[in-house]
Amino acid sequence: MSNGFRSVHPSVALLYYVGLLLFATLLFHPLFLLTELAAVLSLLLLQGQGRHLLRGLPFYLLMAGSVVLWNPLFSHRGSHILFYAFDQPITLEAILYGLMMMLVLLTIMFVFISYNFTMTTDKFMYLFGTVAPKSALLILMTIRFVPLFQRRLGQITLIQSSRGISVSSGKLRKRMSDGMTLLKVLLTWSLEEALQTADSMKARGYGIRKRSTYGIFKLDRRDIITLICLAGSGMLTLIFSMQGYGMVEIYPRLKTPVYTGGDAVMYGSFCMFLLIPVGLEIKEKWLWRSFERRDFPSVIPIKKGPHYMTSRSR
Amino acid sequence: MLRFRYPLFIALALFVVGLALTAALQDRHYILLSLVLLAAALFPLFVRLERRSIESRELVLLAVLSAVAAVSRIPFAALPSVQPVSAIVILSAYVFGAEAGLIIGAMAALVSNLYFGQGPWTPWQMFSWGMVGLTAGWLRNTRWMRSKIGMLVFGFIWGFLFGWIMNIWYIISLPDAFSWGLVAAAYASSFYFDLAHALSNVFFLSILAGSWIKVMERFRKKYGLLQRG
Repeated sequence: MSNGFRSVHPSVALLYYVGLLLFATLLFHPLFLLTELAAVLSLLLLQGQGRHLLRGLPFYLLMAGSVVLWNPLFSHRGSHILFYAFDQPITLEAILYGLMMMLVLLTIMFVFISYNFTMTTDKFMYLFGTVAPKSALLILMTIRFVPLFQRRLGQITLIQSSRGISVSSGKLRKRMSDGMTLLKVLLTWSLEEALQTADSMKARGYGIRKRSTYGIFKLDRRDIITLICLAGSGMLTLIFSMQGYGMVEIYPRLKTPVYTGGDAVMYGSFCMFLLIPVGLEIKEKWLWRSFERRDFPSVIPIKKGPHYMTSRSR
Repeated sequence: MLRFRYPLFIALALFVVGLALTAALQDRHYILLSLVLLAAALFPLFVRLERRSIESRELVLLAVLSAVAAVSRIPFAALPSVQPVSAIVILSAYVFGAEAGLIIGAMAALVSNLYFGQGPWTPWQMFSWGMVGLTAGWLRNTRWMRSKIGMLVFGFIWGFLFGWIMNIWYIISLPDAFSWGLVAAAYASSFYFDLAHALSNVFFLSILAGSWIKVMERFRKKYGLLQRG
């Protein structure tokens, strides 16, 4: 189902995800990182990706968690020494730095889960197909071949099993060589057939002129408003970040962060950037809920109770 | 929007490069810079692909080989690091040359990750598999690669190199901890995966090499594909 943030124009979605990645890698501040992580998580949950997230979570935690372990073991910078492990000083700064890096890595990985859900291949192709038409065609053909080859491999397996070539029975050595026979048939068949496709493309005039493209997406009013809001708040945050706001200093000595007016403005615009898609999702959920409960908060009044025919229609 | 796409993309790219450089130089924060450098490394590949006049047959051939490599990764999804992708990329590069190998490796990584999930590792995998293809294509006329043992050794070495390149992306996130100790620890913890990758390369190369090279060379001769490269 395509609604909420998933239904916005691809350029809006791309801007949002590029912005998320930029902020995750640029803003090195626990408050900003935690806010971004929370926003991405709530977007994921609102998009119904909770199950998907849970499945990959052990892997993500293992990958990001190892950073927390390794940084204090190998980095001994910092002035607050907590204790000694293997004759090496473990500093508070190194542990904090490792924790922040864990947040950065987790945020980046979560952003990609949401990206995979929102930016489907057709949207990506719509954006980059005009910039790099040949690469786009190559990527699209490859993507299209993957399910085709899987299906073909199933057919080959079925046919070859009638002459005793099968990967599911026999000794390991026989199974392996049978599997390779199946793959070789797939390769020959697909190459032979694909070259016919190529000749047919050529016969229809591929490569004579510049490739034209067809775009199915249109920027509507909601998209333009969202785009402007995202670009504005994102730029404001970036400008403040280049002024040096939104950074904590950990090395060489941990400093307690001081919050000034600049930080507050930056945090405000940062939150606005993060929460626009979340807002779109919530609005969508709310509309559905109202729709299901049948008492529309909309302008169209709905009569309650049994519907009597009016005198005129009678 | 469509009229301004080139200036728009160039401006965006320059902007991100600037940000990455300041983040790296001022704050010793290297994640963004590493992504920018990878993009810069893969950029010439796509520019060359766009600019040269490529036959539709060659384009389709590249797509088929990339797709076969991507599909071959799916049955082995449960076993980490065991997959025939590297072997297929090496064999394709051996027959069709360095540039084709680079494209096939990068495409296989990009497309198979549509099924395995894109992530910050995608550009690194594209780069690593692209390099597998590129080096295999460069060395294809040497006596080393011509011998079967040499090709197996090549696959074994790349199994480890691949893991080592993939380790960079999170070593780079700890600039202050950077020391030979950290590198050694990271490489020691990935040793079993790298070994599995290297051994699976040797295994798949040893059973695929003869017949696949024969099939692909027949196609190359029959249709006159990618003869220059």
